Amino acid sequence: MNWGFMFKSFPKLLSVLPITLYLSIIGTLIGLILAILIAIGREKKIVILTPILNLFVSVMRGVPTIVQIYIVYYGLPRLIYALFEHGANSKAITLSSMTIGVVAFALNSSANLSEAIRAAYHSVDHSQYDAALSVGMTPYEAIKRIVLPQLIPNFIPNFTNVFLDIIKDTSLVYNIGIVEIMGKANIIASFAFNYLEAYLDALVIYLIVCFIFARILSWLENIIRRRVFA
Amino acid sequence: MPLLQIKNLKKKFDKKNILKGVDLTINKGEVIVIIGPSGSGKTTLLKNINFLEQPTSGEMNFKGHLINLQKLNKQNELLLRRHTAMVFQNYSLFKNKTALENITEGLIYGKKMDKNKANQIALKELNAVNLSDKKDSYPAQLSGGQQQRIGIARATALDPDLILFDEPTSALDPELVGTVIDDIDNLANKGQTMIVVTHLMSFAKRIGTKILFFEDGQIKDSGTPDKIFNHPDNKRVEEFLSAIAQDK
Repeated sequence: MNWGFMFKSFPKLLSVLPITLYLSIIGTLIGLILAILIAIGREKKIVILTPILNLFVSVMRGVPTIVQIYIVYYGLPRLIYALFEHGANSKAITLSSMTIGVVAFALNSSANLSEAIRAAYHSVDHSQYDAALSVGMTPYEAIKRIVLPQLIPNFIPNFTNVFLDIIKDTSLVYNIGIVEIMGKANIIASFAFNYLEAYLDALVIYLIVCFIFARILSWLENIIRRRVFA
Repeated sequence: MPLLQIKNLKKKFDKKNILKGVDLTINKGEVIVIIGPSGSGKTTLLKNINFLEQPTSGEMNFKGHLINLQKLNKQNELLLRRHTAMVFQNYSLFKNKTALENITEGLIYGKKMDKNKANQIALKELNAVNLSDKKDSYPAQLSGGQQQRIGIARATALDPDLILFDEPTSALDPELVGTVIDDIDNLANKGQTMIVVTHLMSFAKRIGTKILFFEDGQIKDSGTPDKIFNHPDNKRVEEFLSAIAQDK
């Protein structure tokens, strides 16, 4: 075990942490917006849209993340090319690996987050919504004032799970050429075969980052829960 | 003119007929009590009256407004909900609101009242059910009896033409039933028009101006408490009442 190498490598791995954070935070936030739309579409039971959304969620949950990343990596530029083939700049379509990573994580998290939203929605007793309508609120007011405030604290623990999974899954984008923590660890390790040391550095960074986010989100959940239910 | 008249109200759910053509008329000041076995569609009937569930077909006349139940629109829904109120079996107080806010929400958002006036009315209603000291408590901090009495205060604060009670005492501990019944009794004495679904026959007898026996999605018998409890037309009413008496 080369402790000196491990200590020397740690700051180098830390220097690419912003890439990991960028991919996971932006990917999850875009995924959250998509997830809200997916959850609404699935709950509304719309003739053609709902089965399509059901299929999308099943596919995303049933396929490994690395396969999704490769499909987006090879498929998205082709799809865009096919859509805008007749445009003036059709030949000049290039997508950075970072864009592809964000898209892949947004799609991946949207499916899981939409399920988390649905679970949180169903955890609020339907009679709360009925009672709100019965006192004369419109459906929008009933959702906004009564259902949503009760739904959010129930949603946060599942959101935390999905978000931490995404942080850990960013280690896969090394395969499409993004040098994030895992990519950097591989590169550093390969010079002198110090793989264990480099991966232990990566372990420490992932552990600390996930721990910090888990604590922040748990704190947020407690604050909201106390505000909502006193 | 009756306050509410319903003709041939039908409700289908997944091809199953839950309500099979209900006719019902209620005049101002009347208290209609609906009795009948569990699963007969009593709660569904109440929820179809204020459109928490959408009727499949039928006609309604509410305060002179004719409503085709097959073609409900948002105006019809809000008309009924803003002139009626409902008290739920499991209280259904808003869990994220204090006792006071539970009452003011309907006044501010349903009745479009300003907050100060809504607060005044809510405090008066809490006082009427002797719970003004609980105004800042959340539902989780209140007993079942207290929650249901706030549920009643929430309904009466809206000054509705009609209050729908869905088994208001069935989720309560036996010793808490009395106070809730007294609150409903007081409302009846003040001339509040009500439709009450209950399994408490003594309460039904005491409060009802008219009793409906409901079974299998239809009104099988109706009349004064004296008629239903002493000489009903339908044999099933006798069977139902004697089964309930045996349970006791």
